[in-house]
Amino acid sequence: MDVVTLFYQGLLVVLEPQNLMYCFIGVFLGTFIGVLPGIGSMAAIAMILPLTFYLDPTPALVMIAGVFYGAEYGGSTASILMNVPGTPAASITAIEGHALAKKGRAGVALFSTATASFGGGIIGMIVIAVLSPSLAKLALSFGPADYFSVLLLGLIAASAVSNGGALKGIAMVVTGLMLGTIGIDLTTGDLRFTMGIPELRDGVHIVIVAMGLFGVTEVIASIRTATSGKATQTVDYNDFYPSKDEWKSLPAPILRGGAIGSFIGALPGTGQTIAAALAYAVEKRVNRRRKEFGTGVVPGVAVPEAANNSATQTAFIPTLTLGVPGSPPMAIVIGALMIYGITPGPRLLTEQPDMFWGLVASFLVGNIMLLILNVPLIGIWVRLLKIPYKYMYPTIIVLICMGVYSLNNNVFDVWLTLVIGAVGYVMRLFRFEPAPLLLGFVLGPLMEEQLRRSMLLSRGDPMVFLQRPISATLIAITVAILVFALFKTEQNRRRRRAVIKTNQGETQS
Amino acid sequence: MAAEPERTDNQPGQAENSHSALGWGGEIGGLVLLALSVVFMVGGWQLGLGVPTRLGTGAFPFVTGAILAILSTVICIEERRGDGIAETPDWVELFAICAALAVFAVTADRLGLVPAVFLTVIVASMPDRTLPLLGKVVLGAVVALGCWAVFIELLNLPLKPFPGS
Repeated sequence: MDVVTLFYQGLLVVLEPQNLMYCFIGVFLGTFIGVLPGIGSMAAIAMILPLTFYLDPTPALVMIAGVFYGAEYGGSTASILMNVPGTPAASITAIEGHALAKKGRAGVALFSTATASFGGGIIGMIVIAVLSPSLAKLALSFGPADYFSVLLLGLIAASAVSNGGALKGIAMVVTGLMLGTIGIDLTTGDLRFTMGIPELRDGVHIVIVAMGLFGVTEVIASIRTATSGKATQTVDYNDFYPSKDEWKSLPAPILRGGAIGSFIGALPGTGQTIAAALAYAVEKRVNRRRKEFGTGVVPGVAVPEAANNSATQTAFIPTLTLGVPGSPPMAIVIGALMIYGITPGPRLLTEQPDMFWGLVASFLVGNIMLLILNVPLIGIWVRLLKIPYKYMYPTIIVLICMGVYSLNNNVFDVWLTLVIGAVGYVMRLFRFEPAPLLLGFVLGPLMEEQLRRSMLLSRGDPMVFLQRPISATLIAITVAILVFALFKTEQNRRRRRAVIKTNQGETQS
Repeated sequence: MAAEPERTDNQPGQAENSHSALGWGGEIGGLVLLALSVVFMVGGWQLGLGVPTRLGTGAFPFVTGAILAILSTVICIEERRGDGIAETPDWVELFAICAALAVFAVTADRLGLVPAVFLTVIVASMPDRTLPLLGKVVLGAVVALGCWAVFIELLNLPLKPFPGS
């Protein structure tokens, strides 16, 4: 069956009223949470996850995906209107977007974002539909050792580029792997590190880890800045449509941004922020109006937004075909699938075609919904942004409590969220980032299983990881990334120290 | 809402102070991870490492614990030369949010959903000085009733709405 037929079948799946409804709920709630300042797509997904456990896997996945790209989208709305990016990737959009808004052209900026987001999303979707089947076919020849190495590559690539430096990022990944062993060992049935607490038998639920590390810490960190923030601008709706020249300047940046975004998004360990930043940097060199960049130009808003949204979609490629999440939100997707007893990997495409192609088709449907939600209905979000954060964050805390409690109807999970959130917040102060920990936490059990299998097959010879060509190549890439990242961290540290020294010299003299 | 005090103005000063006060900070993160790694190494050892062909229950925690021990030691040494902290700590906000979660955990089963949510909102909104107490009470009541409607009436969460009900 060719891609078009499969896609058509997926479209039929997603057009079933139930799936259509959950797709809408997903993008709507995603946009809603994404618009709130300081709350990113990670927290959004974590908060929605408990709701999806009531559903079948396909609508659940469609809804989680909708929340993810909806939140990325909503983040850009907040960044344009308030210069408070709702998501990290949106801070790139804010450069030109907020400049445009200051010139009184917020409407045009929002319109360009909507168009670019849609274009980028469609490009990303086409890339998924074309690439995934062949990648899955390749991955079918993977043995346990190759899987172990691909997981290792994914983890190292994702953590080595973290803000706090490579060492801290990798330390957090390893911490995640370690914490993932809490609970019953699925191979032997032994209890590990449960400290006699019955609630820990099944391990720590991924929702608890994600809510603690992202929901709770993001709320704490955003209270002070957000409650003192100023009110937003009013958008002039007559001034919504770009001028003729601006219309013409849109398609090329969207295509370029979409292409860069889909490529970056599919790589393990990179995310929307890198995609948006790189696309913006490239556009700044090649665009005809490059000299005006920074003062608020339409292509400058379109490029990062197209890249952001296409990367959001292609992040699903390694997640669903290899079972290796390219970014932390994708780790949650994997965690959610495993709760349904579905192991993401090359077999997913053949064993769950309805689910995979339904999801791909939902990107088309969801992006159309986003367009409708954000162009004619932009007024809703602008009004929402005017609700002071002081009313919002206590409500978010209650929703976190309710979501966590509803997992097992047990307050123990709320206590656990409290501990994880508090420790996570303090670690964050010292530049230990939570995202790598979550990745390690989700992938830990998978990695341990593949490690055991490969050691069994090789009769205890660890050299198996270097003898199989696929595994050896992946290990080589991992080592290269590791060396580069450590070198880069050291370089940054030296530079920072030099700056501090000169500053101290100035104050003393 | 009309008279919002300008709290943003004195923030840079606060940030500088806490940066110098917490210049030693990074080691704490390293030490926390080091302690954790020792727990998992010892625990892994006790669970049994097995043999290479058949890795035991404790092998994976032991190995990851060992790697983390090395990494966190290096981090501790590196941090002595100090990067300081990334952002101004919001201790009041941290305390209030933790207290709010604790209040929910203590009251949810005993008092029921509506009082638990009400109290959680009040405690969580404490660090915000722009909202008067009456506003906090109203907000708490609205959110509590909303949760009742959504979680008990709509989603049938097995939680009593009020004490004794």
